[in-house]
Amino acid sequence: MAVAEAPHSPVVIDESIATRVLRVLGRAPVHIALAIIGVLWLMPTIGLLFTSLLTPSDAQSAGWWQVFAEPSVVTFENYGNIFRDDGIVGSLWVTAQVTLGATILPILVASLAGYAFAWLEFPGRDWFFLGVIALLLVPLQMSLIPIFELYNKTGLYDTIVGLVFFHSAFALPFGIFLLRNFFAGIPRDLLEAARIDGASELRIFARVILPLGIPAIAALGIFQVLFVWNDLLVGLVLAQDNQPIAPEIFSQLRQFGANLEIIAPAAFFSAVIPLTIFAMFQRYFVEGLLAGSVK
Amino acid sequence: MRKHRLLLVLALLVGALSLLAAGCGGGDDEAAGEGTTEAATTAEENVSGSIKIAGLWTGGEGESFKAVLDGFREQYPDVTVTYQPAGEDLPTILATGVEGGNPPDLATLSSPGVIKSFVDKGALQPIDFATDALAENYSESFVDLTTFDGKTYGVVFKGANKSTVWYNVKAFEDAGVEPPTTWDELLEAGDTLKASGVTPYSIGAADGWTLTDLFENVYLRTAGGEKYDQLATHEIPWTDQSVKDALAEMAKIFQSDNVAGGTSSALQTDFPTSVTQVFTDPPKAAIVMEGDFVGTFITTETTAKIGEDANVFTFPSINDSPPVVVGAGDSVVMFKDSPAARAMITYLASAEAAELWAKRGGFSSPNKTLDESVYPDDITRKLASELAQAETFRFDLSDLQPQVLNEALFAELAGFVKDPANIDGTTEKLEAVAKKAYP
Amino acid sequence: MSSTGSSTVTAAPPITEVPPPPSSRGKYAVSLAFLAPAIFFLGVWVVYPAVRTLIRSFYSDQGGEFVWFENYEALFQDETIQTAIKNNVIWVLVVPAAVTAFGLLFAVLTERVPWAPAFKVAVFVPLAVSLFAVGVIWRIMYQQDPDRGAINAGIVAIQGVFTEQGALTTAKPSTDSLAGSPEGGLTLTNAVRPGSVALLGLTAIKAGELPAEPEQAVTPEAIPDGITGVVWRDFKPGGGTPGEVEQDEVGLGGVTIKLRSADGKTVGSTTSDADGSFAFEGVEGGDYRVAIGKETFAEPFQGFNWLGDTLITPSLLIAFLWVQAGFAMVIIAAGLAAIPRDLLEAARTDGGTEWQVFRRITVPQLMPVLIVVLVTQIIGVLKVFDLVVSIVPSSGRDSATVIAVEMYERSFSGQNRFGFGAAISTFMFVLFVPFLILNIRRFRKEN
Repeated sequence: MAVAEAPHSPVVIDESIATRVLRVLGRAPVHIALAIIGVLWLMPTIGLLFTSLLTPSDAQSAGWWQVFAEPSVVTFENYGNIFRDDGIVGSLWVTAQVTLGATILPILVASLAGYAFAWLEFPGRDWFFLGVIALLLVPLQMSLIPIFELYNKTGLYDTIVGLVFFHSAFALPFGIFLLRNFFAGIPRDLLEAARIDGASELRIFARVILPLGIPAIAALGIFQVLFVWNDLLVGLVLAQDNQPIAPEIFSQLRQFGANLEIIAPAAFFSAVIPLTIFAMFQRYFVEGLLAGSVK
Repeated sequence: MRKHRLLLVLALLVGALSLLAAGCGGGDDEAAGEGTTEAATTAEENVSGSIKIAGLWTGGEGESFKAVLDGFREQYPDVTVTYQPAGEDLPTILATGVEGGNPPDLATLSSPGVIKSFVDKGALQPIDFATDALAENYSESFVDLTTFDGKTYGVVFKGANKSTVWYNVKAFEDAGVEPPTTWDELLEAGDTLKASGVTPYSIGAADGWTLTDLFENVYLRTAGGEKYDQLATHEIPWTDQSVKDALAEMAKIFQSDNVAGGTSSALQTDFPTSVTQVFTDPPKAAIVMEGDFVGTFITTETTAKIGEDANVFTFPSINDSPPVVVGAGDSVVMFKDSPAARAMITYLASAEAAELWAKRGGFSSPNKTLDESVYPDDITRKLASELAQAETFRFDLSDLQPQVLNEALFAELAGFVKDPANIDGTTEKLEAVAKKAYP
Repeated sequence: MSSTGSSTVTAAPPITEVPPPPSSRGKYAVSLAFLAPAIFFLGVWVVYPAVRTLIRSFYSDQGGEFVWFENYEALFQDETIQTAIKNNVIWVLVVPAAVTAFGLLFAVLTERVPWAPAFKVAVFVPLAVSLFAVGVIWRIMYQQDPDRGAINAGIVAIQGVFTEQGALTTAKPSTDSLAGSPEGGLTLTNAVRPGSVALLGLTAIKAGELPAEPEQAVTPEAIPDGITGVVWRDFKPGGGTPGEVEQDEVGLGGVTIKLRSADGKTVGSTTSDADGSFAFEGVEGGDYRVAIGKETFAEPFQGFNWLGDTLITPSLLIAFLWVQAGFAMVIIAAGLAAIPRDLLEAARTDGGTEWQVFRRITVPQLMPVLIVVLVTQIIGVLKVFDLVVSIVPSSGRDSATVIAVEMYERSFSGQNRFGFGAAISTFMFVLFVPFLILNIRRFRKEN
């Protein structure tokens, strides 16, 4: 089952120096604009970073930019303090498991459903699809109580599986929406060709759709990782001894107090993993898949 | 026909699933009970089981409460106690737990109004078994707080004296001002401070409860205890002249140049900042009018030392009002009855439990049998003593209200800070909400 | 959606006969199989709670009584909820379009820049940080006080480059003898003649603006053909007597004093000495006014009141955009990546400009993905909660609240009004579903 390749168009153009300079200059506004935007965009986060490096009294007395005037106020004690609680390591492990499960599962389920909505025919398909999208409106909070009750009755309370299922289910409306729209953009000829070759739907799904859908799947994956990793409410309500990391840290917030010295380092610490994953997997978002051959 | 059949099947499946589960769920919300009718026995070694307490104390306070729990564990070695600190998410956990049928065994609640709403839902168990212990250790006004329809539901474990005013010592010295004892003296001191170049008052209006605290202190002194009680139960309306008079007094504080950062900034200042900004160098304001817990705050969040850089005076009297104390407290209530839970309640009502935290500081106990020498310093002792031994004591009025009125108070008083001339408008809006809350 | 037939695509054999599709029954079985897991999860975790909520909304808050539509009646009469809905509408009109536009812009621009990954990470970071922390940072950034809020601090700093700050920004007259305002300058109400001494007493001077080395204020002697005076801090511990220069009261040096003739012209200007005294010599007879110019009190613009009632919703929208633009960018970039390169090349070699290629090829190809972003944003905006809760102060709640916050307040935060909360949730759903469907159908038609 071969699909022909699009020809590579290697870009080897003979340019004179002048043309090349003009080209770079022409790009310059874009570079500059993006650079400015990038820096401005980072400002609040940088502010948070520096706030996490100040003691509570320093943070309260002046803005975080005091770090530039007096670098000596920087301290890592806030980070040290949030780790003082030895529940953190266990929480990290729990969070990792939940995140992994709650990313892979919905990707699988949403891909299957997305393909069905995009390329399989059945009655009421489009209305059904709209119904799925409409489910995006159901707020997480409202599901908490019925599911809490359900979990208590079925023994899923305070289990990793319980958390995984909850998060997976809620990822589906968006996941199905995204993947279906993405899959619908795959050239019909590829599918027809495969069908003509006698491939079963499952085979088409696994061999044609999934590989071509990788950018969207990767996007879905990263957002799910983010959401589940940082989740506070679900973990708080549906877990107790097996709490993921956000409730574990945020339950340290004191009744009074700005609590910046807990929130700021905790937020950074929680952000590191998803950011790293994003940076590492970025290329999957941008790989031009139809520029390559597909077997 | 076949097309529609599939759709029908699917719809039925989903519908059936939902209805089935919904039917099972029902609308019930009483607490699941493991009730035994046995009272806690004196043979303490016999009591066993496992209980979970959900509480608001985290961080340093959480550690102190854990020390209290350790004392319990010594007395009842067969009981497993888990403490779940929940901080600000406590209401969510309790609400979900109660609605979902599986609340924690015990929990801390700071508002008798909220306690009442749980009682109304039938979610809390009365603690009659502890009546004697309570009568011995607490004055009536504290026991009454958690008593509804003749049954008591909680132990007021941690108290707060809210009739205190903290100030920046140096600012007072520079301005040549002495801690005032009357309201007029306070206002005068404010003017002098202003002339000396320091804004007098620090208001954390972003946290509405700082405003209700001020209102309560003023109202109790201008209208007296009886009217306070009547207002608390909505026997008199919020449009009563006494309320307007109290607001008029408060308006004297809320002039824009009296307040740190001006009125609009005060509305964005939260309570923690309103404290810390009084003790920076130079300070943004000289006075912050809030309760004894400010002391702990100063020690942990600022570099100021109590007694040297920071000090406190009792909320001044207004028009020769007698000494009164407005206070608040965190109570421990019981969702699920069991011998272990009962033992915990009785324990927390005792002086020994209170002592374990009191000696660590940052704690005022309403327990009148507690030996006051255990408090770590004079100031804490003085404030705690004023609370426990107060002749005229009133609980924080906003905490006694149904939550919806409590929130309306926060919002309307903030509006009042914005526009201190609008006394009538403010009281009318409050009365409108109160009417609905007290049908 | 079908792709164009590029002539280079396939060398497959010409199609003579399409094999008949499998029997309808079997085909639907396959669909069902693909959909089954989704149906299971959605049914139990999403649909069942939604249905339960609907049912719950017809019961009283305590749960026991069936109250029909009482909760809904209360809902429609509630003013705060009406404000919330109005705010949600504003959000819906502004944010999804803005987020999609930014995302598109970033996705497209970064294609051309080699250091795109770094930029993308920068824009993506807000999503990685927990929403609660985002609210906290922005709340601090939006603080009106330039000593605390980064934005206003920036504004003040930029201004500092262009305008001068006065020496005594908070000073006020200590008595009525000085009149005027900080904006216009302070002038002695009574005219002075040569041979008199002018007393300019000021109070409310903040600690940072007092002289570093204070000197006792001294009232100078009068001089026959001149006007002398003293400008000093008319305050000592305890207050002192306003209007009199007393022991322990500090002179204010370096203040610019102006002398104005009867017709308002400035005829003299001098600076006070460290002990506050100043003198105008060689003054002709007549009435004069002594004044302190407004430059002394000039305070540059201190920035906006971001968290005040007028600006609070725009402030929230900006913070939300900051977070969500990364989301749009990533999804649209994925969409861009999926556009067949040969399509674009063909269009370019056919002589199209970048803009034409963008309009005619890129955007249509991106449409499905753009729709996903738009719709998700619309819904996200309807559900917005965390940001509003963490950024808006108590006083702003009435103007900035949104419907998800109201729902939460009623159900969870101690009010325990579950019946009412359920009604709000159901209402949200019912209100917006037709709107949603309408928009989706419109987009589909445009395709």
